[in-house]
Amino acid sequence: MGKIIFLLSLSIVYSFAQNEIQEASMDLQSACLQCHQEEQIPSSLVYRRYLMRYSTPERISEAMFRYLKNPSKTASIMPSQFFLKFPMKKKTEMDDMELRQYIHRYIEKFDVKKKLVLP
Amino acid sequence: MLQSEKRSLLRFLLIYMGSTFLLFSIASWLFYTSSKHHLLDNQKEALKYESQKIETALRALHQSNSNRLVYPVSKTADSAIYDLDKHYIFGTYATPPVLGKKEKHTLSYVVKIEPYYLGAAYLLLSKPIDFTPIRALQRNLVIFMLLAGIFFAILGYYLGRLFIAPMRESIKQMNHFIQDTTHELNTPISTILTNIEMIETFGECEKNSDELKRIEIASKTLSRIYDDLTYLNLNHHYHRQIIDLDMSHLIEERMVYFSAMAEAKRLQVRIDIEPEVRLEIDKNDAIRLIDNLISNAIKYNKPRGLLYVKLTKRYFMVKDGGVGINKKDLTTIMQRFKRANSSEGGFGIGLDIVNQVVNSYGFVLHMQSQLHKGTEVKVQWEK
Repeated sequence: MGKIIFLLSLSIVYSFAQNEIQEASMDLQSACLQCHQEEQIPSSLVYRRYLMRYSTPERISEAMFRYLKNPSKTASIMPSQFFLKFPMKKKTEMDDMELRQYIHRYIEKFDVKKKLVLP
Repeated sequence: MLQSEKRSLLRFLLIYMGSTFLLFSIASWLFYTSSKHHLLDNQKEALKYESQKIETALRALHQSNSNRLVYPVSKTADSAIYDLDKHYIFGTYATPPVLGKKEKHTLSYVVKIEPYYLGAAYLLLSKPIDFTPIRALQRNLVIFMLLAGIFFAILGYYLGRLFIAPMRESIKQMNHFIQDTTHELNTPISTILTNIEMIETFGECEKNSDELKRIEIASKTLSRIYDDLTYLNLNHHYHRQIIDLDMSHLIEERMVYFSAMAEAKRLQVRIDIEPEVRLEIDKNDAIRLIDNLISNAIKYNKPRGLLYVKLTKRYFMVKDGGVGINKKDLTTIMQRFKRANSSEGGFGIGLDIVNQVVNSYGFVLHMQSQLHKGTEVKVQWEK
């Protein structure tokens, strides 16, 4: 009986966690990635450009925050020619805390550490 | 080879070998350090080459869209990548090492990567140091030092012998001179002594007994010098006859022999001889030991000074109230031809003979002296 209760509670906790992850993913999708997909700008490519210039998640996060708060050609990670084809992003209306959370999720999603494996 | 020759040769060899060894050690150490660095640089060069391969692979990996990024692994070294804040990203180490921390017996190479492919700002490569060529170098150096040591020791020995050859020649000539002189002195001294004895026995020339006594003393001194010189010359060739010798009786006999000399100097003679002191010794050796100590005590004594001779089962002691010896001369006084005081005649061979006898029988010699107060020489029979 004890075992059954334990397994039941474990599956409930697991399903809650899954929902949380899915919700978070859905949030990021609707708040950030959707536009990128519509404009056909690969987010993973953008992230690699950030990675190549800033190296650490903390520095990337700061750079993204600066750009999203005040988008400009100089603050952008993309080359200036990029804006000949794509319009400049509008200034975000998110509050700082919410924006930082989205940036964190974005970095987690495209993080290369998880993809690296030994042969 | 004489003792002094051996000493000179040994000193020369010590200085020569010491300085050669020091010079070779410094040169070898410099050579070893430089060669070791060169060997380690070669190994580091291999790491550098590996780092270039990994860097190229990281660049390709950065551009890959695959969900599985296979990290480039080197066959010869472990590697890891670190971000700009030196945090570990990925690598082949079981335990990720801290960047910049040196491990013992490990060769490390850190290269800065720019731009930061996959976020990697630093690439660390390391592998255990290959000690095989370093050990081979050490072995070769030890062999070289050994061979050089043997070569220079032989060379030094021959050079040393070459350098002391003139000194050897002088000593040889001196010994020859002494040998010839002693040989020529023997017959006249014996004749004089025999004739004095005959005159004393038959009671002739009583009027001139003082003069006769002086002749007797002079002849006995000559005779003793002759005996000493013969002893030194024949020391290594003459066959010793070890007997159970009554030292008490012998010392009394020798004191009678020296009585004329002591009387001439008006010495206060005190004799304290324990009876039946016996020693296993050659008689000639014992006479040379006793005679030299007593004659020195008479010769270097002040007129009317004290001459104290004591014999016990443990030691023989001669004490005088004479000129004494300087403290600094006490250590070298035993050497042949060494004389601490030139006020009296002599060759400086007396204490050398005493020392030789003492050393050959394992006795112990104690010498105490105070300048202008006197000297005490004690020969202890057992250690």
